[in-house]
Amino acid sequence: MSYQTQGFNIDNSGRRVVVDPVTRIEGHLRCEVNLDGNNVITNAVSTGTMWRGLEVILKGRDPRDAWAFTERICGVCTGTHALTSVRAVEDALGIKIPDNANIIRNLMQGTLWVHDHLVHFYHLHALDWVDVVSALSADPKRTSELAQSLSNWPMSSPGYFRDLQSRLKRFVDSGQLGPFRNGYWGHPAYKLPPEANLMAVAHYLEALDFQKEIVKIHTIFGGKNPHPNWLVGGMPCAINVDDVGAVGAINMERLNLVSKIIDDIITFCDQVYLPDVIAIASFYKDWGAIGGGLSSQSVLSYGDFPDRANDYSASSLLVPTGAVINGNFKEIMPVNLRDPEEIQEFVPHSWYSYPEGAKGLHPFDGVTQPHFELGKDFKGRKTKIEQLDEAGKYSWIKAPRWRGHAMEVGPLARYLIGYHQNRPDIKEPVDALLGKLNVPVTALFSTLGRTAARCLEAQWAAHKMRYFFDKLIANIKNGDTATANVDRWEPRTWPAEVKGVGFTEAPRGALGHWVKIKNTRIDSYQCVVPTTWNGSPRDEQGQIGAFEASLMNTRMAKPEEPLEILRTIHSFDPCLACSTHVLSPAGEELVNVKVC
Amino acid sequence: MQMESFYDVMRSQGVSRRSFLKFCSLTATSMGLGAGFVPQIAHALENQPRTPVIWLHGLECTCCSESFIRSAHPLAKDAILSMISLDYDDTIMAAAGHQAEAILDEITTKYKGNYIVAVEGNPPLNEDGMFCMPGGEPFVEKLKRVSKDASAIIAWGACASWGCVQAAKPNPTRATPVADVITDKPIIKVPGCPPIPEVMAAVITYMVTFGRIPPLDRQGRPKMFYGQRIHDKCYRRPHFDAGQFVEDWDDEGARKGYCLYKMGCKGPTTYNACSTVRWNDGVSFPIQSGHGCIGCSENGFWDKGSFYDRVVDINQFGIESNADKIGLTVAGAAGAAIVAHAAVSAIKSTALKRQDLKSLNDVQREETR
Amino acid sequence: MKPLKTYGFDNDIPAELGGRRTTAVYVYQAPVRIWHWLTAISVMVLAITGFFIGKPLPTLSGEASAHFLMGYIRFAHFAAAYVLAVGLIFRIYWAIVGNAYSRELFIVPVWDPQWWREFFYEVRWYMFMVRYPKKYVGHNPVGQFAMFCFFLCAVGMILSGFALYGEGLGEQSWAYRMFGWVISLVGGNSMTLHGLHRLGMWFTILFVMLHIYAAIREDIMSKQSMISTMVSGFRMFKS
Repeated sequence: MSYQTQGFNIDNSGRRVVVDPVTRIEGHLRCEVNLDGNNVITNAVSTGTMWRGLEVILKGRDPRDAWAFTERICGVCTGTHALTSVRAVEDALGIKIPDNANIIRNLMQGTLWVHDHLVHFYHLHALDWVDVVSALSADPKRTSELAQSLSNWPMSSPGYFRDLQSRLKRFVDSGQLGPFRNGYWGHPAYKLPPEANLMAVAHYLEALDFQKEIVKIHTIFGGKNPHPNWLVGGMPCAINVDDVGAVGAINMERLNLVSKIIDDIITFCDQVYLPDVIAIASFYKDWGAIGGGLSSQSVLSYGDFPDRANDYSASSLLVPTGAVINGNFKEIMPVNLRDPEEIQEFVPHSWYSYPEGAKGLHPFDGVTQPHFELGKDFKGRKTKIEQLDEAGKYSWIKAPRWRGHAMEVGPLARYLIGYHQNRPDIKEPVDALLGKLNVPVTALFSTLGRTAARCLEAQWAAHKMRYFFDKLIANIKNGDTATANVDRWEPRTWPAEVKGVGFTEAPRGALGHWVKIKNTRIDSYQCVVPTTWNGSPRDEQGQIGAFEASLMNTRMAKPEEPLEILRTIHSFDPCLACSTHVLSPAGEELVNVKVC
Repeated sequence: MQMESFYDVMRSQGVSRRSFLKFCSLTATSMGLGAGFVPQIAHALENQPRTPVIWLHGLECTCCSESFIRSAHPLAKDAILSMISLDYDDTIMAAAGHQAEAILDEITTKYKGNYIVAVEGNPPLNEDGMFCMPGGEPFVEKLKRVSKDASAIIAWGACASWGCVQAAKPNPTRATPVADVITDKPIIKVPGCPPIPEVMAAVITYMVTFGRIPPLDRQGRPKMFYGQRIHDKCYRRPHFDAGQFVEDWDDEGARKGYCLYKMGCKGPTTYNACSTVRWNDGVSFPIQSGHGCIGCSENGFWDKGSFYDRVVDINQFGIESNADKIGLTVAGAAGAAIVAHAAVSAIKSTALKRQDLKSLNDVQREETR
Repeated sequence: MKPLKTYGFDNDIPAELGGRRTTAVYVYQAPVRIWHWLTAISVMVLAITGFFIGKPLPTLSGEASAHFLMGYIRFAHFAAAYVLAVGLIFRIYWAIVGNAYSRELFIVPVWDPQWWREFFYEVRWYMFMVRYPKKYVGHNPVGQFAMFCFFLCAVGMILSGFALYGEGLGEQSWAYRMFGWVISLVGGNSMTLHGLHRLGMWFTILFVMLHIYAAIREDIMSKQSMISTMVSGFRMFKS
């Protein structure tokens, strides 16, 4: 069977390759592809293979608790669901938060962005580009020269790399390779010279040490990480820099620690992360033309980082909001999360059924009726699936569409929108990076483009944290230390029936929560999350989602070692627990509950 | 093949024997062990090959993995490179698909009876287990297969220990704690959402260092970290005893660091090391940062009412009921009934007195007839 | 003393009860009376302090070292709890060595149809369906049943209370070792036990309300002494 959609020719007649589990992601994902005679992918199928059901569980609970439940949707992008949730509840109840709370939330979100992007690049994505075993044959002296030519990062002496190499050698010689066991070492798609590999392995380990420092900002304001604490109406951490009891609140010592960590983050992004991405990308420029998928056609961003508290309009959001369809970047359209015609979800290829079949549903009106049913041509048996049939239902992920279009979300989407809006804080670093790599702007529409945009965004967020921290200090200097608004804390002050929307840009892309509150309890709660957009299965028209589109037309060097698939899928930083967190028991009637 | 021991690794990094022994004594202290254990730790670190660990993921959110890599002592990289052999963990492993699944067979065969299975998340049992189907099969099958020849199971976090958020009412997937599925192996529960990074690292290094499982409490948790309540060691405890509470968010009490009991803090009923070990290299913990403990290491903490209430919901009486609501209602009703009953009694009594012109015994005789 | 086939009676006090035309019978021996009033005081202290442990009083200002309010409230709660618990143990002992009425609280003769008949007779009396109650030297069947419920509740409160107390003393403490299983019994999260313990408090308050009301009312209406009996030990029959 073959057909055209979104400029791709889908043909599932060739040899089928299954990758399950796709590792180095959050959650459980399966990929199946068909290859033609030249090992080029002609059909791609991505399947979310887990399902949890938080929205069903949220029904009937106290809306002030919702942040804690939704935060547990994902421990990797920890906090972003909580932030989205308190925004949704505040929107519903008409709560205005103090400026300091807005600033602290932006600092928390910035922390998450940097942490998530850094861990993604070094610990989830780097092994797609870096051959650990090849690092054993590197010359430490030349590695040192390479590192010093890239940045002033001090950990770059020949002795440092020699020690590291010898530790690595003893590790490999032990025969206990741990997480590097059965990797695709020596695969022809690995292009880095041994010295670059050794440097990257060093930074893999340094980043592993450093990431735990970044999250201390969450710990200071939220008490712990993963899963810091939040509050409807502000933030729970009181500020007291002057008076008795200051040691039990945000005081000068705490602020100094935050400031130091921000400095360290900026240094690490400037001196390690970005130089590494440039160095690695310069050996993989061909990947600037692979894996573009939907990014050149349809991208979406809700926007985030409100500069002014309680103002979520485009002029206040430091991360741009907008949608592009049909590749027309000249026209960036506004996004309205409340418009029932804009965001809709479909289920013809998802393991759910709708009462009205093909009709898409806006999150405020969503329905969830799980319906596990394999397509008629699947291979294996129900509890031992060998091959799925994408003509039938094949994923626990629903198919969200914006005005009927499958969209890509994430750092690349945000950067493409910001770039085409000519925002200097986005356009200038992008142009500088393109210039350094000597590639055209169209190279952004690629696997490499996603990885590069993520890096630039981490750097952007690091500098914005400094901006917000300075604002916080200015407020405190002016005597404003309020962190919470408790006017509507007590449920008896709430209207009987309200609804609200909260949104953020999670590290992986656009995230929205829709809540309805009735008689002080959650009546319905729904989330549409980034990986639901990117990992979407097909819809009624056969439109494919961003993962599937990005795999199309990629040539695999050794199909039995699916390194190319991993590279492109990882460039999205998939989060499957997010995308498939909703469910309801078979046979139970669920009204106003919907799966994202 | 030469196995690289932890001592080898440290020597190769230029660590002297003297420093190595100092490290061992620090390790002993941080585990709450006496100086007598130092030679034992040193011997173990010098000689043992690293214990293979298979880290499985069921229905979860990966917060436990994220927490584990936050460990400051030992650093996650040192734990992974030198203390254990983390041969399978879908979140960080290089291999995928068939190459990844092949590792499970290799380890379970080669190290039969000598590997540890660490489980993050839990298996759902509804829909034949297909709510979680890595590799196209139910996770519960994978868990059972891999656990069969393990020496011990570590149940990471609230998911594997108790069920956590996906098992909160109405638990639509029938997400089930590991101990309910694997019944023939020692299971060490390390609850928390997530557990404290250094606690996770300490539990696993305790096991590989001493070759035994840590002493467990009644509910299967290591006593060394879950033996005391957060309340017992909370630095705000003096304010509790004094009767000084945060009454409202960001009020005077909040700024002075008063006790968060009235804001629903679950520290008095939560067994964890947050107030002693603290979080992220000892930077803070929830109470220190102004929010009450939500009790995330306790069984069923999602279903005990709002996180901001101290008097908990009792689900059998409907989702919004707690002891005080029930009690006040019943006491109020009883009070009203007593007043009414007393009033009727008074009226009846007056009426009877009038009738009592007749002899009492006559009346009773009439009644008994 | 032999148990009586007939629990209540309508006219004069039977001779075998030492009645013999007297109008007073010695019912409650001194230890029982002392126990009653000690328990009454401790239950009152427990309920008041317990209420404020769950919902503390408004915050005190100044340094923490200057106050110990919650500490004193909790101390009073625990001290009263010891009085209640030790008293109950003593009371059980006295049920064995004391007179027949001292056993009433603990053994409800549910196997005896006569007891049930009188139980429903008393229910009818309380519902104004009969004019006069039967006379009882000890408790009437409804009262006896209520007392038994209170006894069960007290045992539950002591078990749950000492389990929670054991949490405070620590896992190595005698209280936790002896009573910690109660926490596991209700699912392992002691928040649940706190909730049930508080529900028990409300049940006790309910019992106290009904107990006092019934005692006063019977004193007035049933022509037998109630309140003074628990002071002097003698039941006076006024007919």
